[in-house]
Amino acid sequence: MRRANVVSGVVLGLLSLLMLFAVIPAQIDPGPDGIVSPRLVPSMTMILVAALSVLLVVNNMRAPEPGAPEASLPFTRAELAALLKIGAVFALALGLYFLVSPLAAGAGLVVGALLALGERRPVVIVLMPAVLLLALWLLFYKVLGTAIV
Amino acid sequence: MTHSTRRGVLGAAVALALGCTGLAAPAAAEDYPDGPITMLVGYAAGGQTDLVARATAKVMSEQLGVPINVVNKPGAGGAVAARELQKAKPDGYTVLFHANTVVNTAPFIMERVDFKPDDFEYAGMITAYQVGLVTQKGAPYDTLEEFVAWAKQNPGFSYGSLSPASRMYMEQIAKKEGLDVNIVPLKGGGDMINAILGHQVVLALSGGIHNKYPDEMKMVTALTSFRHPSDPDVLTIEENGYALGMDSRTTLILPKGTPRPVLEKLAGALKAAETDEGFKKIVAAANIPIMYLDVDQSAKEMADSYAKNKGIMESVGIVAK
Amino acid sequence: MEHLITGFQDVLTPGILVWVAVGVTLGYVLGALPGLGKATGVAVAIPLTLYLEPVAALGMLIGIAKGSAAGSAVSAILLNTPGEPSSAPTALDGYPLARQGKAQKALKMGLFASVIGDFVSTMILIGLAAPLASYALLIGPVELCAILLFSLTFVGGLSGGSLTKGLIAAAFGVFFATVGLEPETFIPRMTFGLLELEDGIALVPMAIGMLAVAEMTLQAGNMRALDVEAARISEGARREDRVVLASEWRRCVPVIARGTLIGSAVGILPGLGASVGSFLSYGATRRASATPEKYGTGMIEGVAAAESADNAVVPSSLVPLFALGIPGSVIAAILIAAFILHGLTPGPLMFKQQPRLVADVYASMICASLIMLVIGYTGQRIFAQVIKVPLRLIIPGVLLLCSVGAYLETGSVFSIYVMLFFALIGFFARKLDFSFVTFLIGFVIGPSLELTFRQSIQILDHDVANLPGHPIAIVFVFLTIATAVWTARSNGRLAAARARRTTKPCISKREGR
Repeated sequence: MRRANVVSGVVLGLLSLLMLFAVIPAQIDPGPDGIVSPRLVPSMTMILVAALSVLLVVNNMRAPEPGAPEASLPFTRAELAALLKIGAVFALALGLYFLVSPLAAGAGLVVGALLALGERRPVVIVLMPAVLLLALWLLFYKVLGTAIV
Repeated sequence: MTHSTRRGVLGAAVALALGCTGLAAPAAAEDYPDGPITMLVGYAAGGQTDLVARATAKVMSEQLGVPINVVNKPGAGGAVAARELQKAKPDGYTVLFHANTVVNTAPFIMERVDFKPDDFEYAGMITAYQVGLVTQKGAPYDTLEEFVAWAKQNPGFSYGSLSPASRMYMEQIAKKEGLDVNIVPLKGGGDMINAILGHQVVLALSGGIHNKYPDEMKMVTALTSFRHPSDPDVLTIEENGYALGMDSRTTLILPKGTPRPVLEKLAGALKAAETDEGFKKIVAAANIPIMYLDVDQSAKEMADSYAKNKGIMESVGIVAK
Repeated sequence: MEHLITGFQDVLTPGILVWVAVGVTLGYVLGALPGLGKATGVAVAIPLTLYLEPVAALGMLIGIAKGSAAGSAVSAILLNTPGEPSSAPTALDGYPLARQGKAQKALKMGLFASVIGDFVSTMILIGLAAPLASYALLIGPVELCAILLFSLTFVGGLSGGSLTKGLIAAAFGVFFATVGLEPETFIPRMTFGLLELEDGIALVPMAIGMLAVAEMTLQAGNMRALDVEAARISEGARREDRVVLASEWRRCVPVIARGTLIGSAVGILPGLGASVGSFLSYGATRRASATPEKYGTGMIEGVAAAESADNAVVPSSLVPLFALGIPGSVIAAILIAAFILHGLTPGPLMFKQQPRLVADVYASMICASLIMLVIGYTGQRIFAQVIKVPLRLIIPGVLLLCSVGAYLETGSVFSIYVMLFFALIGFFARKLDFSFVTFLIGFVIGPSLELTFRQSIQILDHDVANLPGHPIAIVFVFLTIATAVWTARSNGRLAAARARRTTKPCISKREGR
């Protein structure tokens, strides 16, 4: 975790500086005189983050405690793979939303997620999205009477 | 009363299929409406406008014989919903029910909102917002003139402002009369009521909610160009010597290019709200006055108010940010 | 009070009770499903109620609000995906309990705490609406600013292990909250020209992304291990894992009392919100505990604290609504429309003009609390079985519900983008041990803090010397300083205690500290 903390500290520090010197001035106009500037609070938070990031890095640069198991990454490969898989499934669903219809997007999301997670039984792959979408349809369109899309 | 159940996606799929087979003809005015209408509202559920929208939808739905689905698309004071409307087909099945300020005021305050009256069609206006400057019932002044006199004796008083536009009024009054004011920013009508009832500010701009508190609040001046039906004795800002009256009304807005007969039909259904008992009861409970305008009158009102507000904003130096 | 008796007579008819029950059930189910929340449920149900007579309609809507506050504990405990940000603290201890095979115990305690908190708060509403509301008016921007500062400091201490990382998370929370139009000048901040961001980042899609979607992704990455663990836990095999023991009751009663009080207080004050209530209650209970370092590993008191406060907020947020007509919360704002649509104008005149209708509404609220107990209890056993379902079937379903819930918030795909963005952030935050608790608090309290700060400057006429005119504010400023000092000292003790405790790294430990 220590190495991860150092890395996070550095990344966050750089990010906060980026916000402070680039994004905030570009995105927020200075306010009129006599009023607290709109830039004040965002800038203050980023200054705080920058300072704390330095603290984080410094605290974690010291030698690790003896005997503590030092994992190379706090992430396991499976978790990163899951991140990518879920990301891909959402990308698919969004694509379907824009190109086909919301219904297809919903179905695509469920089917895609099932497949990505290793489900291979065709019955489940077909039945689950059908049941879920039907249940949602019933709940919103019939019981509550409000269209979602 | 027809229930706002829409077959939604399945309905759309069916319509698509029909369209593909060429069985569906483009909506001719005599057939309009032959399916559900979507009514967008640019504020979140629960507000004044949303309330009137739902009541209106109920009346119009009865008149037209089709369900009207109210869909809230909040954001940027209605600009998000208006953008959405611009993307819809001008066939009369998508309408926006909103305060006309999204077209005649918002563009002058927010740079990213750049609507002009010509960008839309209007199918009538139904209610007006009774905007005014309000204060506590027991305050030692009843008119703007008396308020100014009091303010000169009490420098450093607090005024509650909901937006740059409401700020503008006080800034103009303060400039003309040389007052020393602290403008307290408020977020929304609820905040404003709290601030007045809690004596945090001595004056604030209200969009009409003050009428719900006749025992605790009173209006010092109307900010519209007409006297309020709820307070006919109170002078307007124009009668007080400031050419700053800005009117806002709830309007049925449609995408540009919607055929005239469709607009007429919608306006006709809207007119029914004027005399509908249920509608009248609801808006009376919220002290909202019914001021119906038809298709031509509302188009004219939009163009006139846009030009007028533009003049006002430029003369006081408000620049869109 | 005689009115109340007539109220009961009106309400205890099958016609009305059925609708209240429907509302509570619907709310409970909506709350239990991750992604869908109470505001969505209430707003979406309003059109439906146009067909019902006033008392039934209002009863149903209030039932939805109450039911979902209780139901949101279910997904928090079983899946570590709180349905609402206000149930996030429930997950902190509820999920570990579920992973230890004590899901039913946690669910029961969550339900009992919810019902008690809700019931007591309803009583407070009924008995004290008018006087409380006028006291609430004494809390102006200056006082509120001080109270928010106090809350921030109080909850900030919850970051636990690494104060540095917790503060970073809080700062980012405040930072993200500034996105949108600045309330005083309407100058856009970091909206990148997008109209959709002008009202700021919506809390619900953000919370859904950060809490639920991120969690589901993480669980997807650990599926095998989690499923093995789940299979090993023979759920509820021992009776003591399924029920709440008397000893636990004794420990939890003061916790629930505290939570109810805090939740009620938070609900009455405008602008704080249910999340603040449950976090404050959790924090308070943790501080008062003899073993604060055990929180996060399955302390049932944690569940009790969070849920009692979470539910107590709902009825008490109706206090300003009933007494003054001011909506003090999102739910209250939505309910105003419903009230008016059905002929009841909330506000001081309400009691004079329509005492009978008011009594009916009160009676139906009390009935709703009791019905909630029944519904929740019946649903327990069914819900608890969810643990046995393999994750690869649960995750897709939850993802769909989250997407729907996010979408419902603004009716556009944009909130799904927001959800995904924060899901990514949440994923990294959890793995790198940054507290999402303090992030959420920063996000929720930040904007109010900034606004009240600006307001205070104006009200105090730019002169700090005017502060003594606001004694309540001064009290809270002192409390803030006291809390900050106490936190610094006890965090030192906490860190020492944790270093002594040997813990094996456990996948189910989710609290980002």
